[in-house]
Amino acid sequence: MAGIVCRTASQIISSQASCSSVLAVRHSHWFTSVLSLKTSIPLRAEPKKKKKVDPRREIMMKERLKKKLKRLEKVPPELIPIEDFITPAKCFDETRIRDAPKLSFEESERRALLLKEWSRYKYSQHQTEMDTIEEALEAQRQALDELKLESEELYKAAVSSDMDLFPFQREGPSYTPPITNYEAPEGKYNNITRVYTQ
Amino acid sequence: MAAPFTRVYRPLWRIITTTTLNKGVRNVSSTRQQWSAQNVKTAGVASPWALHGAVCLQRLPVVSQDRSPIEDEFMELMHQMELERSLLSDHELRLLEDAARMSRKQEEESDEEEEDYRDKDIFTAQDLEDIWEQKLKQYQPAQRSQGVDEKGVSSSERCLAESLILLVKKDVGSQKLWLLPQIQWQTGETLRQTAERALASLPGADLKATFLGNAPCGFYKYKYPKDIQKEGSVGAKVFFFKALLSGHKHLPLEKNSFAWVKKDELQDFLKPEYLKQVRRFIMAL
Repeated sequence: MAGIVCRTASQIISSQASCSSVLAVRHSHWFTSVLSLKTSIPLRAEPKKKKKVDPRREIMMKERLKKKLKRLEKVPPELIPIEDFITPAKCFDETRIRDAPKLSFEESERRALLLKEWSRYKYSQHQTEMDTIEEALEAQRQALDELKLESEELYKAAVSSDMDLFPFQREGPSYTPPITNYEAPEGKYNNITRVYTQ
Repeated sequence: MAAPFTRVYRPLWRIITTTTLNKGVRNVSSTRQQWSAQNVKTAGVASPWALHGAVCLQRLPVVSQDRSPIEDEFMELMHQMELERSLLSDHELRLLEDAARMSRKQEEESDEEEEDYRDKDIFTAQDLEDIWEQKLKQYQPAQRSQGVDEKGVSSSERCLAESLILLVKKDVGSQKLWLLPQIQWQTGETLRQTAERALASLPGADLKATFLGNAPCGFYKYKYPKDIQKEGSVGAKVFFFKALLSGHKHLPLEKNSFAWVKKDELQDFLKPEYLKQVRRFIMAL
């Protein structure tokens, strides 16, 4: 009984002593608490044995990083997808298929004949266009021949290229003529184009 | 005698080379003189033709052409075929859904309240279509065709669907003729500059044009009538340059001296020989 009391007393005293020792130790920086991790300053202040190896280590680290960067750079960049070539999923939706109408014999005949008529029309149009162009070129060639007979200087000036002509820009014909003093209404738009970076 | 004078003793090789050089130079200069004399002679010989520069100023169509009947038919056919081969669009699907929903509503009227809660869209697709049509009607475009010759021949707002050429009435000798604007060539300028001057010198017209290239597009040569023909001049050569009218500001021009003319109307204005040459390079497609 007394022994137990003694032990407990001694424990208490020792703990008190340790506490006091902790409190006492904090005043000096050379000794850290026993309870805490053993990161004593004497240990930290140990002279580093690996002085020569350390710069080499750093160099090795840098080389490894550079190699990794090179490997990453060697990989070819991801190709930017061409959005026109990818059919959107909407087109494969089955609910969107129209009922194909059945064409009567007359209708299909009419269509075939119209297509043939159209090809003939387009051919004759093309021929007239080509003929007009040929004639205009011939007229120009003859004009240049005549000019050459006249004087070499003027001919050379005519044959020299015109620097101010290109880039040439002109607005083509529209369906209705432009309205004089028309104020177009301002419109807002959300630009949803996808921009890819490599 | 006692006065010393220095003689420049040149080595023998130098004497030979200099003499030969001098001879060479003399030869060259003589040939040059001959050549320039020849050039002057040729210029003198070629000058019986007086040079004129003219401008073919075109006002390109402002409005697209009307379709010919076959083009109309073909366009209809193409639209039809495209429609048949296409898939249903979002808008069309919505129309179908709305129609189905309406039919269901009419059949089962008890589900109305539930439908209203589920309905997030206020407008049906049909309503949207009506709204769009209303908006379109609010915009009034300008008239396509101005009517048959509402404006005189001198207005450049004439046939908007076709390209027009500018003609000018000019005194040539004793007659007054309709011509493309032309002016006599002066020494020291290129023919294109002559054409530009011809355009700028038109009285009362502030026309801005872009010239298409340095080369002429056609020419017309004519001989003077015999009483005017002198020793040096036989006739004249007119070189045409193409230009496109730029800018929208068209000031009204004098009726009697200016005309904006289509290709088919040219024959009413120009002399037959002149017309024959001019028609070649005017393209009315």
